Amino acid sequence: MTANITFPDVVSWAVPLFIAAILAELFWIHATGRGGRYETRDAFTSLIMGAGNIASGILLGFIAYGFFMVLWQITPLDLGTSWMVIAICFVLDDLRYYWVHRFGHRIRWVWASHVNHHSSQHYNLTTALRQTWTGYFTFMMVVRAPLILLGFHPAMVLFCGGLNLIYQFWIHTEAINRLPRWFEAVMNTPSHHRAHHGRNARYLDCNYAGVFIIWDRIFGTFVPELDSEKVDYGLVHNLATFNPIRIAFHEWVAIFRDMAQPGLTLRQRLMYAVAPPGWSHDGSRDMTPVLKAKHLARHPEDRGTPGFEETAP
Amino acid sequence: MPLQILLPLVVGGIAGIAVLLHLLGYSRQVDLSDPSFVAAQWCREFPDDQVEAIAMSDDGRVALVHASSGAGLLWAAGADTTARRADCAEVTPDATGLTVRFDDYGAAQLRISLPPQDQPHWINTLTASEAT
Repeated sequence: MTANITFPDVVSWAVPLFIAAILAELFWIHATGRGGRYETRDAFTSLIMGAGNIASGILLGFIAYGFFMVLWQITPLDLGTSWMVIAICFVLDDLRYYWVHRFGHRIRWVWASHVNHHSSQHYNLTTALRQTWTGYFTFMMVVRAPLILLGFHPAMVLFCGGLNLIYQFWIHTEAINRLPRWFEAVMNTPSHHRAHHGRNARYLDCNYAGVFIIWDRIFGTFVPELDSEKVDYGLVHNLATFNPIRIAFHEWVAIFRDMAQPGLTLRQRLMYAVAPPGWSHDGSRDMTPVLKAKHLARHPEDRGTPGFEETAP
Repeated sequence: MPLQILLPLVVGGIAGIAVLLHLLGYSRQVDLSDPSFVAAQWCREFPDDQVEAIAMSDDGRVALVHASSGAGLLWAAGADTTARRADCAEVTPDATGLTVRFDDYGAAQLRISLPPQDQPHWINTLTASEAT
């Protein structure tokens, strides 16, 4: 069995690239007056969130790696470290990312971690770095277990995950409009990911891809960015703070408060943690299908257009 | 990357970008002086609402919005806006205005600059909405 394999920590090595690209985007926007918006406190908060994400990885990463090494000891399979195996691992890890990301939008417990990435009303390269501090609390590391049990070394799986994150950095921009049709068909692009960050009813819960947009096309969650409807970035109910602590933990606090309400059944308390965001025991809040239905009530002309194909009348 | 390189790079990068943004003029707050803009921003947050009336704070940074579903506050959040309904707010008056605390960890405490003569209207509106 392959042992003592090391792969570079590509995310930390990419930090100089991140800084250079942010400066380049900023100067482009400032010089041309187009290609996006920047705001000091928003960008500063995003960067602090990114630094906190790296810190949480340093502090808690051993938990996930320890779990993966236990699985590696259990599995009898070892696919080695050839370039072909790394390429297959990258594609399968991207499929893993798609599902973890989809869970991140459809299970409130996981959304509590992921929500901060969507909490900016801006969309620029600093938004890419607005990452979670609480990813380890979601236990979504288990979704990587099948890869390791199939014989992909944990270090390789984490290396591929790092490459995936680096790929996603450059798609957080308004400075790039559309790319060649073949590229837009296969790869996740700034256009596809702008739609993902939209709070417009049309764009809610779509385009979960990391690198390959084909997963959304296969699983029916793809919605194209429409020239006729500009993406409105942020949350359905935007945050009213730039405090990174509040941003990192606000949804966890909200879950706790909801679960602790008096007079709920055990099932209702559980549902506040595992149901989709917007679920409530008394129906006083709106989940995505209701938000889309309400939009269609105001704009019936949108029925049947992308993002509104399956909404019940 | 070794921590002794990564740490200064991250700290220096964040500080440098923040200072640069400020010097380039990206710290300006959104202008709420246009009532139609305030109404549009309220409806962006609460799309089913009809805005009926708007009152502005002394410093023009907070709007008291009377909408079809009740009253609420809309205020500047950097270059953007944010809004909350009044029913989750606790209002405390003092000599220079109001302090509003929301039952929402995602909303920091809000300071509203108001002359004493305007305070009763705001307090009545916010607390009446809270009671409904």
